[in-house]
Amino acid sequence: MSGLQMYMLLGALIFLLGLHGLLILADPIRRLIAVNLMGGGTFMIMVTLARRSEPADPLLHALVVTGLVVAISATAFALRLITASLATESPGEPEHKAVQLPTDSDDRGQPPA
Amino acid sequence: MTYALISLSIPLFCALLLMLAGSRVNERTLAIITIMASVLSLFAAWLALQDAAAANQSQMLNLGGWDAGLAIRLRLSTLSALLLVFTALMHLLIGLYAGLSRQGVARDFWPLSSFLHGSLAALWLSADLFNLYITLELLGLTAVAMVALAGKKAYKPAANYLILSLAASLFYLLGVVLIYGRYDSLDIQLLAGLTESDVTTRLALLLMTAGLMLKAALWPLHLWLPAAHANAPTAVSALLSGLVVKGPLFILWLLWSEVAPPALAQQIGPVFGVAGMIALVAGGVSAMRTPYIKTLVAYSTVAQLGYALMALGLLLTWQLPQLHIALWLFVIAHGLAKASLFLAAGEMQASLGTKRISGLRGATQTVPIAMFAFAVAGGSLIGLPPSGGFLAKWVLLEPLLNQVENWPWAFGILLGTIVSAAYIFRVVALSFDRARINPPDTRPDRLGHWLALLPALMVWGMALTGDWLIHLLAGGGV
Repeated sequence: MSGLQMYMLLGALIFLLGLHGLLILADPIRRLIAVNLMGGGTFMIMVTLARRSEPADPLLHALVVTGLVVAISATAFALRLITASLATESPGEPEHKAVQLPTDSDDRGQPPA
Repeated sequence: MTYALISLSIPLFCALLLMLAGSRVNERTLAIITIMASVLSLFAAWLALQDAAAANQSQMLNLGGWDAGLAIRLRLSTLSALLLVFTALMHLLIGLYAGLSRQGVARDFWPLSSFLHGSLAALWLSADLFNLYITLELLGLTAVAMVALAGKKAYKPAANYLILSLAASLFYLLGVVLIYGRYDSLDIQLLAGLTESDVTTRLALLLMTAGLMLKAALWPLHLWLPAAHANAPTAVSALLSGLVVKGPLFILWLLWSEVAPPALAQQIGPVFGVAGMIALVAGGVSAMRTPYIKTLVAYSTVAQLGYALMALGLLLTWQLPQLHIALWLFVIAHGLAKASLFLAAGEMQASLGTKRISGLRGATQTVPIAMFAFAVAGGSLIGLPPSGGFLAKWVLLEPLLNQVENWPWAFGILLGTIVSAAYIFRVVALSFDRARINPPDTRPDRLGHWLALLPALMVWGMALTGDWLIHLLAGGGV
């Protein structure tokens, strides 16, 4: 049982690590990776919870699979959106340079498009 | 239940059909198909509402015929039927505007708006925590895609919105997982009888609440909303502010009024109430100070959601059925008024060629109908009688005024009303300044202006059907 508790704790740690990244990072791609870490932590907790019974709880496995599908499609969409927004911010420059641009999370009073 | 399922499937299949059709059909056909789907869905939702009101108790459906506990359950109550009607009506009104006004929309608007309609309908009908997570994700992804329709400038706010929305969903998911780990169930009705106020449950509810408050832009997690809603195309802003933020609010209500143990709900109630009051004032003050028209309307959403949050908080504290009625009247009245406000703001922006509020000088002369729509919808937000906003506020105020110890809450509502009046009148007063008119760039698009007025007229019409609405919400309960 202590093994399971360790995995639960690790999952929670990964979630918190992702949250920390989301709060302090400014670069959108890094923030996306941070969100994915949060997802990884959540899925780890789910898989660990499934192992509590023998045989493992299939319902939680089904939920993890569903969650993974959602996470993959959302990440793909977010990546495309981020690269597109970086490309518009600095026309003519390669995208890895555009990453260095300051990104403000506080958009108050910014003129609407 | 059958009618509700039809109301849910029509927009869903319409969205898939339009996506498959892709570029083979022209834009006009896309618009006509989507509007037809909204009309049919509205009709089915109306029949579902009759059905639910007659049955007088919620009807359950176990998907796939599995037993309770394993099956994903759908539930049709009077409230969810009413929300189905509201969603279909909003899509119809905004679809008509998007299809007929000169400003127009990108062609991808049509399948996406249909998809949004379907996801919201699924959300109102779900009675399963994980299924609610899926509908939340569908809603979030569709909303972000619709914000991005505005073009390159909107990509950054859209990406920001998406990342926050994903993080919020994960908070909610982690909470759901903890609940499942503790009680081995995801079904809301089964959980209602099981939950206790232990540490795991508290933590899970806290996580879910944080996620949902971020998604619904409830104070203090609202900072993303003005950027996302103000940068979207006009018709999309109306859908986002009028409908999308109400989805997470519905789940929040479901969570605290059903899943959470009543003792815990009573503890959290005042917190929601205070947060709502602060949202009212803080959102209103930001709306008063911003120089841009659409940002003003977006901040007004933050403020108005404060009323809903306050009604929810007081409902949890006192468990009065009246406050349940007030909460949902607010949601419906705000949805209609906000749609009108955004459409009118977009129309004025296009006709006058300015995004600034100062450009609205003399708008009563240059774009009279759009300005009238703005003022009329604003009147409902302030709560002037006999609008839908007044109806909701009256139902909320009644139990507050009856007892002296509740007067601080009533004072909060009064303060919110003054602030709302200030930011609406700020625009209206400027539009009467006919001495220094900002001339319109083009000949105004009269049809678009009239279509922007339509939801505002409906919200004033709500007062006429007030008795019926109150009766419906009172009978339905959950």
